Amino acid sequence: MNVLSCSINTLIKEGLYEISGVEVGQHFYWQIGGFQVHAQVLITSWVVIAILLGSAALAVRNPQTIPTGGQNFFEFVLEFIRDVSQTQIGEEYGPWVPFIGTLFLFIFVSNWSGALLPWKIIQLPQGELAAPTNDINTTVALALLTSVAYFYAGLSKKGLGYFSKYIQPTPILLPINILEDFTKPLSLSFRLFGNILADELVVVVLVSLVPLVVPIPVMFLGLFTSGIQALIFATLAAAYIGESMEGHH
Amino acid sequence: MANSIMASSKPLIFLSSSSTQPSRVHLPAKLPQIPKPISSSSDLRSKALSFSSATVKSLALIAALAPPSMAEAMEKAQLFDFNLTLPIIVVEFLFLMFALDKVYYSPLGNFMDKRDGEIKEKLASVKDTSTEIKALDEQADSVMRAARAEIAAALNKMKKETEAEVEEQLAEGRKKVEAELQEALASLEKQKEVTIKALDSQIAALSEDIVKKVLPS
Repeated sequence: MNVLSCSINTLIKEGLYEISGVEVGQHFYWQIGGFQVHAQVLITSWVVIAILLGSAALAVRNPQTIPTGGQNFFEFVLEFIRDVSQTQIGEEYGPWVPFIGTLFLFIFVSNWSGALLPWKIIQLPQGELAAPTNDINTTVALALLTSVAYFYAGLSKKGLGYFSKYIQPTPILLPINILEDFTKPLSLSFRLFGNILADELVVVVLVSLVPLVVPIPVMFLGLFTSGIQALIFATLAAAYIGESMEGHH
Repeated sequence: MANSIMASSKPLIFLSSSSTQPSRVHLPAKLPQIPKPISSSSDLRSKALSFSSATVKSLALIAALAPPSMAEAMEKAQLFDFNLTLPIIVVEFLFLMFALDKVYYSPLGNFMDKRDGEIKEKLASVKDTSTEIKALDEQADSVMRAARAEIAAALNKMKKETEAEVEEQLAEGRKKVEAELQEALASLEKQKEVTIKALDSQIAALSEDIVKKVLPS
């Protein structure tokens, strides 16, 4: 196992991304007040946010009783988000719809933008534009927000009694229960990050090896995976929130 | 496309010259040997294809540290590079959440809920009229029943009346007939008596005739 990971490491560091022309772990840095930021992530995330806000504002500007076109689509999306939240959180899902919905939409549009938008046309001095979700900062940010959200949900619902869940069903499980609070954001962020990065890598490597036809099924698979990952992230976040809100009797 | 092919041709050299990796360490010493800066990609490719060890080495060097800042960045390149991007994404996400809530979730959600309520209301009112219809239907039914009963009663009554009338007339006729019969019988009796009386007188004369004829005088 160790040898394997080592060899993979060296492969990634020395050869693989050079072969494919994809620049793994290369970033386009900006300096903001002595701190560094990944400019390519920020740029693409702005584009994603602009797409989301623009299309939503355009479609919902003047709602009609009988929906058509864009309004119909956005109503469908909203119903879908509400359905997911209600299934996972329960009856008091109302206030959490914006959070779950934004998680889903942001991740979904980010993932698909990585696959569909021709980012590569814009050349950066270093690094390259790609889905914002293929940067660990983004996924960790979203996962941490989820953690904060479910703590907030539990505390606002049950007060300090929320912490009694750590010794449920027996105090013996206390370490595991505490560990869970760390594994949840960890698994959330790494699942998303790994899937999106791996997907883009596979596509780029295939494109560089066989530029025609062969990568197309993988690209479609990538689109599918992207959607699934967005749904999984949103569903799990909702499940965590619901879990911390429901009573542990 | 050419770009990616270029990219894929570069590493092949890189990998094949992996034995030259240690030379990276004492790069500065070899720097002077680097040929003139590459002018075009075709140039690079032809040199790459020539595969002389010197050019391969120098190419690797160029790839590794053509501009020194690039080399620095390469050293730093990493997957798990946390920095200020994370909090910025958090802020961006929160902004997006509130903005989408203002633009999308709340207005459209309220609109949909309102519409749902209206539709439900309309449906309920439709159900109400259906009960009204049922009541009206029943009323009509009862009216019909009453009318039918009335008609039946009237019919019965009329039947009885006509029957009584018919009976009366029948009885009257019978009486008349009986009276006439009686009269006829009475007259018949009278005639019988008259005839018998007449016959009596004739009998006397006849018997006299018979006696005369029988008894020779």
